[in-house]
Amino acid sequence: MDGAKTALTGKAGKLRNGLAEEPKPAAGRTFSLQKWTFVPGILFFILWEAFSRINESVKLFNPNFLPAPTALLQEAWELARTGIIAESILSSTIRILLGFVIGSAAALALGVIMSKYKSVEFWFSPVLNLVGPIPALALLPLFIIWFGIGEFPKVLLIAWTTFIPVLVYTLDGFKSVPSTLIRSAMSLGASERQIFARVMLPSALPNFLVGAQVSLGLSFSALIVSEMMGAKSGLGYIIVDARNYFKISNMFIAIILIGLEYSLFSYLLKLVERKVMAWRKGGIRDAVEK
Amino acid sequence: MKLEVRSVGKGFGERTILKNVDLTVRDREFICILGHSGCGKSTLLNMIAGYLLPDTGTIAVDGEAIRGPSKARGMVFQEHALFPWMTVLDNVSFGPEVQKMPKAKAKETAMEFLKLVGLETYASHYPAELSGGMKQRVGIARALASKPDILLMDEPFGALDVLTREMMRMELQKICSQLKPTILFVTHSISEAVYLADRVVVMKHGAIADIFEVGIKHPRTPSSPGFGDMMSRIERVLMDEEHSEIAEAKVGT
Repeated sequence: MDGAKTALTGKAGKLRNGLAEEPKPAAGRTFSLQKWTFVPGILFFILWEAFSRINESVKLFNPNFLPAPTALLQEAWELARTGIIAESILSSTIRILLGFVIGSAAALALGVIMSKYKSVEFWFSPVLNLVGPIPALALLPLFIIWFGIGEFPKVLLIAWTTFIPVLVYTLDGFKSVPSTLIRSAMSLGASERQIFARVMLPSALPNFLVGAQVSLGLSFSALIVSEMMGAKSGLGYIIVDARNYFKISNMFIAIILIGLEYSLFSYLLKLVERKVMAWRKGGIRDAVEK
Repeated sequence: MKLEVRSVGKGFGERTILKNVDLTVRDREFICILGHSGCGKSTLLNMIAGYLLPDTGTIAVDGEAIRGPSKARGMVFQEHALFPWMTVLDNVSFGPEVQKMPKAKAKETAMEFLKLVGLETYASHYPAELSGGMKQRVGIARALASKPDILLMDEPFGALDVLTREMMRMELQKICSQLKPTILFVTHSISEAVYLADRVVVMKHGAIADIFEVGIKHPRTPSSPGFGDMMSRIERVLMDEEHSEIAEAKVGT
């Protein structure tokens, strides 16, 4: 039991060290770098374009393997006119939203119950430690056999990938509520329920959000893979479909769209985090003025 | 209100922290518990607060044994323990609110106590934006706002710099002269104890070594008649052992 517990929290700790730190744009001495964050991205595409164009004449390898961005834009426009892109984005978005929200909500609920009732933790924690580390993608074929190729197994897979990290972080958050905060609340006359709602929950909220941020990446891979296996729509489906017909440009379009959609979701989550955690100060930006 | 500690003992595992402690705190009395770190003074305070339970003996308020934390005994912590996600005003109104006071009335009460500690202009700030001394003042206002019978303070100024500490002493003294609360104040500063207390309880190795009635008229300064004398009398009790023994006690903590 003890071993199981440390395994759960240990995992959280390791994950957090790697991922919780937000890259802070460093401000230059003479001019602010912040205004120029788009430059590396633009440069990347320019280099890509140049390389592809050169490759078309030099033929280092088959030019079809790496189409130029401008060519991709043109293809994307063609594809968008058929309505496939809009349809794919819509169905992918619905799946990820459903799965992500269901997974997070379930993790939060179980986290609350597990931290409230010792016996629930006793029974669940070892089992979760057992099944938690299994890559969700390994479960997909099984899910398909069990639940068919409809929307349900896909949403379930995404929910499951979201569920485990969020639960681990949330539990860790509940466990690391400073005892002096609980003591103060008790001495101020708060009931157990009030302590839970007004001290434990807000105190664990930052951890929950970090868990959500971590699992967002994982749930995106679950989304794409589940769309690559037995789906008729979605960004992952475009990739498989393009492979079958050897339309490499379509693959690139889908890949870029996946990246864009992930960035959008990640940004939205960051916005929520910033709003919820307005009270928090710290980080390098508050440490020194430059 | 009368707090009675009767032959209380407490140990953690093999180590005995407190043995046979007897103490009576009268209504509206300011008592300082003074001692080296590790002498058990914080443990005693935590037991009075109800966070820990005595192994032997009883602690009772007005004849009723303490069974757990209660709003009747407010606590101010050394590390302030403010809720970082609440504004200063919400922190102070937390007590009245959880005690079912209507929200508007609770905020009003909180504002009164913020005025008392001189922080009404910081009501909408978050604790992270305040200095150490200000946080501690909010901590005091928060504890007072739920109208405790006795205020327990666990080295509240221990983490502050010397100048702020001096200011906080005066501030606390001012508040006391206005509200006349009952206070149990843990410290390891002799001058702080003599400056504030009606009675100074000196603790050593888990037992009460001596109790001093200070009896100097407020407001006190280090040059008040009897102040230096009282300090050296207390110091003699605190330090009367061989230095090696004190060193040993410190190693033990």
